[in-house]
Amino acid sequence: MKVGVPRGLLFYKYRPFITTFFEELGEEVVLSPETDKEILNLGSKYSVDEACLPVKVFHGHAAYLRDKCDIIFLPRIMQLREREYICPKFCGLPEMVINSVPDMPKAITFPIYAFSEKSLRKWAVKTGLIFTKNYLKIHNSYRAALAAQKKFSPGINDIDYDIKIALVGHPYNVYDSFVNMELVSKLHKMGIGVITEEYIGDELIDKEVKTLFKRPFWTFTRNSYGFSSYVGTHKEVQGIIYLSSFACGTDSITIEFIKDRLDNFPILVLKIDEQTGEAGFNTRIEAFVDMLKRAVVNCQL
Amino acid sequence: MVITFPHLGNSAFAAKAIFDDLEIDYILPPVSSRTSLEIGSCHAPEEICLPFKIMLGSFIQSIEKGADTILIPGSCGPCRYGEYCELHMKTLKKLGYNVEFIVLDQPGDIGFQELLNRINKISLKSSKSNKEKINALISGYRVINLIDKIEQKAKIKSGYELNSGECKRLFNECKRECVLTKKSNEMILLLKKYNNLLDNVALNKSKKPLRIAIIGEIYTLLEPFSNLYIEDKLIDFGVSSKRFLYPSWWVKDAALSPVNLNSLDIKKASKKYLPYYIGGFGRECVGEAVLAKKQGFHGAIQILPMGCMPEIVSKSILPTISKDEDFPIMTLVVDEMTGEGGYQTRIEAFLDLLERREFNVLHGC
Repeated sequence: MKVGVPRGLLFYKYRPFITTFFEELGEEVVLSPETDKEILNLGSKYSVDEACLPVKVFHGHAAYLRDKCDIIFLPRIMQLREREYICPKFCGLPEMVINSVPDMPKAITFPIYAFSEKSLRKWAVKTGLIFTKNYLKIHNSYRAALAAQKKFSPGINDIDYDIKIALVGHPYNVYDSFVNMELVSKLHKMGIGVITEEYIGDELIDKEVKTLFKRPFWTFTRNSYGFSSYVGTHKEVQGIIYLSSFACGTDSITIEFIKDRLDNFPILVLKIDEQTGEAGFNTRIEAFVDMLKRAVVNCQL
Repeated sequence: MVITFPHLGNSAFAAKAIFDDLEIDYILPPVSSRTSLEIGSCHAPEEICLPFKIMLGSFIQSIEKGADTILIPGSCGPCRYGEYCELHMKTLKKLGYNVEFIVLDQPGDIGFQELLNRINKISLKSSKSNKEKINALISGYRVINLIDKIEQKAKIKSGYELNSGECKRLFNECKRECVLTKKSNEMILLLKKYNNLLDNVALNKSKKPLRIAIIGEIYTLLEPFSNLYIEDKLIDFGVSSKRFLYPSWWVKDAALSPVNLNSLDIKKASKKYLPYYIGGFGRECVGEAVLAKKQGFHGAIQILPMGCMPEIVSKSILPTISKDEDFPIMTLVVDEMTGEGGYQTRIEAFLDLLERREFNVLHGC
């Protein structure tokens, strides 16, 4: 069977697991292409207006694949860590896509609780049973997928740059170069190095997060806040660029927490949506970089 | 300690009754208005949802009147409400207001002992005995149930009333008089009186008004200002409206959810379209749309604040329900920029559509 896998949302972090699992089961994986204008337009056309850009882009990828596969994988990621969520739209993502995009094929929509190998296994078994009754094959595919995922280490950690910034944001914005308009290469061309949240480990993030009154219940908030708070207070970078989607619910809170924690630290918040003009985007990045370079020269940073 | 709390529909009356009985000083939060929204929008982050902005404004107004402690329920997501407490704390601190926060959060997250510690902060300020304190809570519960019942009756009967505006007038009178009471038993007697008056309101049983269900995000449904007084507008049009979400509903739902026995009717109704809880009241919205059709309503209006994540998911599902069940559903999104004119036009157009479906044009042509 052809299994359609939309190249959107958390595909950027979990690609090895997803593709290996289906391939080991003996199915053909059909990926949508990298995000481009056509996919963005498809997504904006079908999705509900108020959805954030990454969700619209995902709709576009799903719509692109609908006639190119027999069954489509619409991940319903409920939790990545215990007592934490990503966002309500992830919990209801399959319903959003199926009710907005017409003529969708059959879909894999079982809830994913990925906080342990045991909890994730439930999803793997339910999904595997769609393709085969061979429990051993499903088990082996699951183990192979986990192994492939463990070898994967996404993230950017530039070393040879005098000025470095922390690029904070959700992985699907940071790693989709169409959506972020080639932000990372633009920064490199300006002589600015980039580090992303994979730079620091769980222990350090946990320590930073304790500065909040309430334990954050969003995984991305925990990661973004912990990362920004650490690199900002330890001066590991000269500035932070927070890449956020317009109308992102969780970011509306996370950004305020980071600003509150890092008073007087250079932070640029870049908001993106399907209307964002590249010229304005570039101008703001250039202005920020200019400011950082001057501050470094004047030994303020 | 002078305590205040967010205004959330009729729950302010229950809170007043409880604090009156416990003899703790409190500031009754002002009814949400343009002023609270303006103050809140000025200081709140731009992209935060509307309920936060209104709450922040009303907290600042209460602090200016002398409140020094804010009592706020908590939650653990996935919708933004759970982070309101922390964001309120940081924002008020930055503005120079020195207030203490008591956050009644989920025991699963902070532990029962911590929850009790927080409740004790209030409880210890009262000189009443433990028995009297428990009675105060019971009275509060009775108040919220009574007043919600009265409100529901008023809204449903207003479609059938003989003297136009009588139900609305009675309910508003009831609220005005409740604010003046000094003890919970006075309030309960008053509520029972108005309940009787509403039971005996003169009705024209031959009327066939439009019946509309109001669904959506709980705060915007409970706070009339945030939904631009839609229920009042509908009453003026002679429509009989019903809302499923009330504070008393929420109390029962919260109490039964640890044992999965909460809102079984909504769970069943929403199973086909959204079989999982996604946070906020997204699943409830979908279930209510299906129930509204079953209960013979002519249409439903979904109201949500801009950016409300769970309601965006529901919004994408409602057109399918509308098509499957042949049931008109309109969505209205509100924020601080919502224009009254456009809002009014949409409601009128929706009512026209419903009337014509019934071949029952009520407003002369």
